Amino acid sequence: MTGLGAALPYAGPRERPATGARAWLALLVAVAVGAVAFSWPLFLRPESGMSATQAPVMFAVVLPLVLAVVLSELAGGRMDAKTLAMLGVLAAVGTILRPLSAGTAGFELIFFLMILAGRVFGAGFGFALGAITLFTSALITSGVGPWLPYQMLSAGFVGLFAGWLPRALGRAEIALLAAYGMVSAFAYGWLMDFSFWPFAIGDGTQLSFDPAASALENLHRFVLFNVATSMGWNLGRALTNAVMVVLLGVPLLRLLRRAARRASFVPANPARPLAE
Amino acid sequence: MERTETLTTPHPWAWWCWAIGIGIAVSGTTNPLLLALIATAVVATVLLRRSDAPWARSVKAYLVLSVFVIGMRVFFQMLLGAGTGETVLFTLPQIPLPDWAAGIQLGGAVTAEGLVNTLYDALRLAVMLVCVGAANALANPRQALRSVPAALYEASVAVVIALSVAPQLIESAQRVRKARRLRGDQARGLRALGAIVMPVLADAIERSMSLAAGMESRGFARTRGLPVRGTLPLMLAGSLVATCGVFLLLSTDHRLLSVLLLLGGVAAVLLGLRRAEATLRVTRHRPHPWGSRDTLIALSGVFAALIVFSAGGDWGIGWLMASDVLHPSTDPLVWPELTPLMLVVVALVLAPLPLTRVRPPQATTSLRNDTRVRSLRPRPEREPELVAR
Repeated sequence: MTGLGAALPYAGPRERPATGARAWLALLVAVAVGAVAFSWPLFLRPESGMSATQAPVMFAVVLPLVLAVVLSELAGGRMDAKTLAMLGVLAAVGTILRPLSAGTAGFELIFFLMILAGRVFGAGFGFALGAITLFTSALITSGVGPWLPYQMLSAGFVGLFAGWLPRALGRAEIALLAAYGMVSAFAYGWLMDFSFWPFAIGDGTQLSFDPAASALENLHRFVLFNVATSMGWNLGRALTNAVMVVLLGVPLLRLLRRAARRASFVPANPARPLAE
Repeated sequence: MERTETLTTPHPWAWWCWAIGIGIAVSGTTNPLLLALIATAVVATVLLRRSDAPWARSVKAYLVLSVFVIGMRVFFQMLLGAGTGETVLFTLPQIPLPDWAAGIQLGGAVTAEGLVNTLYDALRLAVMLVCVGAANALANPRQALRSVPAALYEASVAVVIALSVAPQLIESAQRVRKARRLRGDQARGLRALGAIVMPVLADAIERSMSLAAGMESRGFARTRGLPVRGTLPLMLAGSLVATCGVFLLLSTDHRLLSVLLLLGGVAAVLLGLRRAEATLRVTRHRPHPWGSRDTLIALSGVFAALIVFSAGGDWGIGWLMASDVLHPSTDPLVWPELTPLMLVVVALVLAPLPLTRVRPPQATTSLRNDTRVRSLRPRPEREPELVAR
């Protein structure tokens, strides 16, 4: 274990644990790969011979590998049993909340939990929680498919950037998190819609993705398509996030921070890898 | 029980490989006859080989979703179609739109060519969805999770914790609700949400603490060694190279270079994951063996994809099946053809059927409830009835 964690005898889920250099690198690569994977309608050209139906599937091959690398680094390198148990239990809460709230006009309850947990436990934990929540809920609802890596990555980003928010206290913190909840809800919706836009509408209509058109023209078409179809969903999701953060933010942050403090004790016999 | 099940059921990753291969094959054609045959074959395989587990019922949801996708696409085509082709079926009233939506026109003529083109494309997507649904229905997710690479051991532990805690949380929520009712708490709506969610979450976090204590006391993660030097840079570089490969594949016509980059990147990541496994000394409890039958099932999917793609391209076996057979023209409209090679693809889709056996219906999960076992149990002797005194 290189980085900061090796110097400490025990790296429990302290508040805002120092993410090691390795994990930072992995997260940055995830952001870079995600940026390319989500924006494929901007650079797909007709001369490549690939159709718009095949493009997201191509990335669905690469993204699980990237997710595997990042998650193995985040979970394998830094997490002890307490963090891992917290990750699993919070993912279980999200998994339960998702089918409860699925569908009806963007009323989605999973994101506020990722935002609050990412805020308390740090960016790496937030990313892992977002990705694992979506994965577990896909396993439970049999929703595994080419869209799953995209969902995992974008939900991971929701938790990741929550961990990178600036410092704030009291009401300012709740306001900051609620605002972030609204912004991230729209960002999540746009990312998912954009990467699966050609799937939703097909080609040949005036709002369809056209590989021959310029990137700007495609963006214009996408904005029109998005306003026409999923604006209400994104708005509903944004409002849900903000309302949940305002309602449950204070007690939940207190609860999570208390757990983070309680879990970070230094054992008498520090954890050392078994020499063999 | 599980032991016999792992011996009679194919490996879950074999089913996934089969389904992904067929999905890739489907993505390379818009021939409605081939698509319909593949869909029928996939659904038949699922219906004949699925278990009676809860996830096995998911294929119905995917069929409904496929029909919805076709319906939505046709709706958008009629409403927003650009009206290519000459055969006008009917004309919808046109609706003027504001300036910022310039260039878009609602309604207008609905042509047979545009509609058929949309139908073909939607059918392709629908059959891909059916393939995904088939994998979800046939592969046991818990078994699949147990065979992930050891480098993902911690992440899969988190998933397993989540999967096993989730049912307990429902029970916890019911307990909290019952307690509220006993106290005579009548709050409804958002207020009640807070009153239920907070205790449930507090309970969940308590649970995670005691779980962690249990894991620590059993020596969890104590066998972890130092990471192998250079593994992470190798994996990260591999993922970046693979992404570049896909980027080039989609944006340029340098096919060979981009495919090489993609394969090289994927290989580097897999090698890195393999090397990262060396840091962990974990054993598996009753691993699901990968047999020759699993290889055959997986290969049938791979070959289906290879046949369609080498026929669609300019290289390979393009002389056997022309590209315009895979993508029948919609303008002008022609009747789609069916060639012998397509039947080979359909046969490959059906290949798991002779390779696997029908599962005997398992009505009971525990020996205790099995009537046959119960009838074998010794019964108390009937006391001899006393003759009336």
